[in-house]
Amino acid sequence: MATRNLGALLVLVLAITIREVASVFQPISDSHRSAASELFTPAEGSFGSLEEAYEALRSFEILGIDKPDIRGASGESVLDKLGSSSSAPKDLFYALKVNSILKCEVNKEVFEGIASRLKAVVNGASSLLDIYYSIGSLVLIKNQSSEVDVLLADADGIFRSIKSLSQSDGRWRYSSDNPESSTYAAGLAVEALAGVVSLASSEIDQAMIGKLKRDVSKLFDIIEKYDDGAVYFDEKVDQSPLSTTASVVRGLTAFAAVTSETLKLPGDKILGLAKFFLGIGVPGNTKDFFNQIDSLACLESNKVSVPLILSLPATVLSLTKKDQLKVKVSTVLGSSAPPVTVKLVRAFSSGSKDASIIPSQELKFDKESRYHFLDVLPKNVDVGSYMFVFEVVLHDSEHETIYATGGLTQVGVFVTGVVNIDNAEIAVLESDKSVETQKKLDLAGENAVSLSANHLQKLRLSFQLTTPLGHTFKPHQVFLKLTHETKVEHIFVVGNSGKKFEIILDFLGLVDKFYYLSGSYDLQLTVGDAVMENSFLRAIGRVDLDLPEAPEKATRPPPLAVNPYLKYGPKAEISHIFRVPEKLPPNHLSLAFLGLLLLPLIGFLVGLLRLGVNLKNFPTSAVPATFGFLFHVGLAAVLLLYVLFWLKLDLFTTLKWLGILGVFLLFVGHRILSHLASTSSKLKSA
Amino acid sequence: MLKLLAFLTLSLPFLTHSFSPDHPTDRRVLVLLDDLAIKSSHSLFFKTLQSRGFELDFKLADDPKIGLQRYGQYTYDALILFSPTVDRFGGSIDLAAILDFVDTGHDLIIAADTNASDLIRQISVECGVDFDEDPSAMVIDHMSYAVSDTEGDHTLIASDDFIKSDVILGSKKIEAPVLFKGIGHTINSENSLVLKVLSASPSAYSANPKSKLSSPPLLIGSAISLVSVVQARNNARVLISGSLSMFSDRFFRSEVQKAGSADKHEKSANEQFLTELSKWVFHERGHLKAVNVRHHKIDEADEPAIYRINDDVEYSVEIYEWHGKSWEPYVADDVQVQFYMMSPYVLKTLSTDKKGHYFTAFKVPDVYGVFQFKVEYDRLGYTSVSLSKQIPVRPFRHNEYDRFIPAAYPYYGAAFTMMTGFFIFTVVHLYNK
Repeated sequence: MATRNLGALLVLVLAITIREVASVFQPISDSHRSAASELFTPAEGSFGSLEEAYEALRSFEILGIDKPDIRGASGESVLDKLGSSSSAPKDLFYALKVNSILKCEVNKEVFEGIASRLKAVVNGASSLLDIYYSIGSLVLIKNQSSEVDVLLADADGIFRSIKSLSQSDGRWRYSSDNPESSTYAAGLAVEALAGVVSLASSEIDQAMIGKLKRDVSKLFDIIEKYDDGAVYFDEKVDQSPLSTTASVVRGLTAFAAVTSETLKLPGDKILGLAKFFLGIGVPGNTKDFFNQIDSLACLESNKVSVPLILSLPATVLSLTKKDQLKVKVSTVLGSSAPPVTVKLVRAFSSGSKDASIIPSQELKFDKESRYHFLDVLPKNVDVGSYMFVFEVVLHDSEHETIYATGGLTQVGVFVTGVVNIDNAEIAVLESDKSVETQKKLDLAGENAVSLSANHLQKLRLSFQLTTPLGHTFKPHQVFLKLTHETKVEHIFVVGNSGKKFEIILDFLGLVDKFYYLSGSYDLQLTVGDAVMENSFLRAIGRVDLDLPEAPEKATRPPPLAVNPYLKYGPKAEISHIFRVPEKLPPNHLSLAFLGLLLLPLIGFLVGLLRLGVNLKNFPTSAVPATFGFLFHVGLAAVLLLYVLFWLKLDLFTTLKWLGILGVFLLFVGHRILSHLASTSSKLKSA
Repeated sequence: MLKLLAFLTLSLPFLTHSFSPDHPTDRRVLVLLDDLAIKSSHSLFFKTLQSRGFELDFKLADDPKIGLQRYGQYTYDALILFSPTVDRFGGSIDLAAILDFVDTGHDLIIAADTNASDLIRQISVECGVDFDEDPSAMVIDHMSYAVSDTEGDHTLIASDDFIKSDVILGSKKIEAPVLFKGIGHTINSENSLVLKVLSASPSAYSANPKSKLSSPPLLIGSAISLVSVVQARNNARVLISGSLSMFSDRFFRSEVQKAGSADKHEKSANEQFLTELSKWVFHERGHLKAVNVRHHKIDEADEPAIYRINDDVEYSVEIYEWHGKSWEPYVADDVQVQFYMMSPYVLKTLSTDKKGHYFTAFKVPDVYGVFQFKVEYDRLGYTSVSLSKQIPVRPFRHNEYDRFIPAAYPYYGAAFTMMTGFFIFTVVHLYNK
């Protein structure tokens, strides 16, 4: 079963649509055994505490699994705890519990010492938990060693002091100074009281026991209920429903075991408790697992009424495989029930409640497999979902007081089979319903029809479905899907008229729905049902539609989902395209032209030499000669500055130097030129 | 008073929560349940979380004392909503509180179910997921259902249409199908943050199995998503499932056989699927961080304040992935860097040394302006890495152009011969007699 809650929820949902879907509760099976071995794994040879060790050992014992070898380590700590005089009642309690399974050798003196200590605790204690652990320990000592005196002298007094903690609604308080009442505590108290009864040296006052019985039945008034018949006790604080219910069940069964009179509780409540524990499935933690298994073990052997669980190994029956309807009746732990007859009271189709399709009959019993079975499903059982109503009748009328069968049990059963598909054809019709093209289809195999139609024509698809018994079969899912090239999908439900499934697509009325998208449409037919073994999804072929142009106001097709795999891929690399440098002539060409440029200078020099130039006009006196020399040096410096400007200098440095040189040149140039001018004027005048 | 102050100052730093690279290990999870029995019936899932070091705090969804924050600080890093039917949360939690929680970068797991309450639907809608509006609808699949002796209505679905992403589902291939029983949803095609992790098969549809269909169901075929995840822009992650029972121990342990297939798997893949998925949701995988973003000119070590056009630059970044306990180098070959100004001028895939170091070199384009080095790394399932570093690019300075162009030598030569000629001419002109 899924979660309790989910189960309840589903039932609630389904209850709205069809009432009475009964959950099938399976008894404890091998899945519990494998889960137990997985859950209770001792760390390094021992469990964390004696409590955990006890839970593991007890679960293994109930499930019949070989205990892991923890005898050494746990046995030691048991003896440790028992031997120590300062152990708390709780530690003693679990040590004794572990010992009841491991059966270690414990001295009589040790037991006696503990017993006398615990008796003192019981007499003086005010807290329910202390009393519970002490009484529990004393009961355990009584069971483990017959020689120790554990009988309580003042059993009546102790009984009263525990009873004084009870509340009017059947719940209990943990101690006299704690006003909060708790169902969990009620379970503990009842178990402790059961212990007191068994330890009493003299008979307990019957009136007190009668009162306690009333308390227990009051407790059942506050029981909570799930819709599938399971009942449980809830506690708002601290404890989970499971541990609360487990505590009550333990108390209840312990009490029922010690009283001579029978405890009268409604059998369906006990069955409901069993259903609650079974409905949990396999719990995932050790505490819950232990609570479930231990409570079920208590219910299995209780003296009130032992619940019997009716379970079906399969509720899906195949007509083709000729499955038998099998029913198993067992106790909660899966052991076989007393001789019973299972009656199939009625069976009706889930849709119609009245007509029973199978006459009321008893199921046959197979001794070997311990299944009650219906030999063959009657001929008139067709595919479909049915409700089968079973009744468990005990052979021995004495057993009726011992076992709780829960009256009628209703189980939903699916009968599946192969559905025949016939007369499948697809056709394109003209507007006046005359057939233009028609093709047969084989829906069991592959088809690849290719049709074409325009918006004035219609497409008709028809087929028949018949059950193995020849009735018309109406599956839940009959969809025709048209997928356009651009992945726009249109889905139609194919309806049936009488025997025939038929759909006529009138394209004139559908152009808008098709968004005026012409082109190829793939046809796909899906037929499926829960009871149809050959459900299929098949491509039929394609139809080329020629639809009119879309008017401006036509709705646009919806955007398609983006493929996430493409959306996240790496992007294409981009590299920058650099500007292409200007085209330059090759170097040797430039050098050749440079060489050519020297020619005019050479020509100039040669010309000068040819003309026979001389420097006879250079001043002869020292001062003008100096100025002349400096003038030409200055000129050369300016020209050199230009060369430097090209080679390395920047404009500002060049201008600075040029300024300095310019002033210098102006001065020396003026002196030499005025000298030359005066000499030439002198010459002229002379 | 002093003690209280000391306590506050000491504890406040530990109260900040969402996944942050600074203290990635603070993981406290609030689990809200409809019924405490779920704690036990879904214990395997919770146990996998606890074994990975998460502190789970189980509360009933209508517990009046629950709250996500206290004194303005979030007390949880993540929220698990296993309460499909809750109409109103107790305490201070409501729709807005949960959305704020996600908006501040916290993670969320939602399990809905048939008959999911409006509140759960609203939260899902805010995450970009629309559940089937029909409260009694379930996903039905008459072709890929899980073969079962006791469940005959084909609502127990065995799906194996997983998203193809190692980061979301782990590198180990999921062999068996995943069992699913619940409600389907669709994701908004315009929402790029939602991903379908588990899709239904083409033959699936979402409807009430007990009532006859007269019109086509709204959700049909592979468009139905069974489990989806959302990664918000702030890297908060959300897992949305239409089935609470898929987390249950029963489904975890159940054997599974898909209809029409002969393979019988001893165990469904639910445990593997959900464990891996929860690792992703809780940032144990696929969370990237980028550190040591550097760029410099080739042969230089320091990052310049400005680049010149045509410079050769090297760019490098280190990317690490969080692995639950430590940052491990992230290895991939598709990390790309963009040199970006209005649009990418250069987009280059980074080379890697397989130890988390990614690097490349390229030439700065011959366009000047303010550029960015951008790494926009968005991969399926990974948190997005978005780095940008601004850097101006200038043109050549006046003195950075070529000074000696061979093609211009004739012009220089002409000038210099002219100058030589001029010098000689001056001498000859002045002193010739």
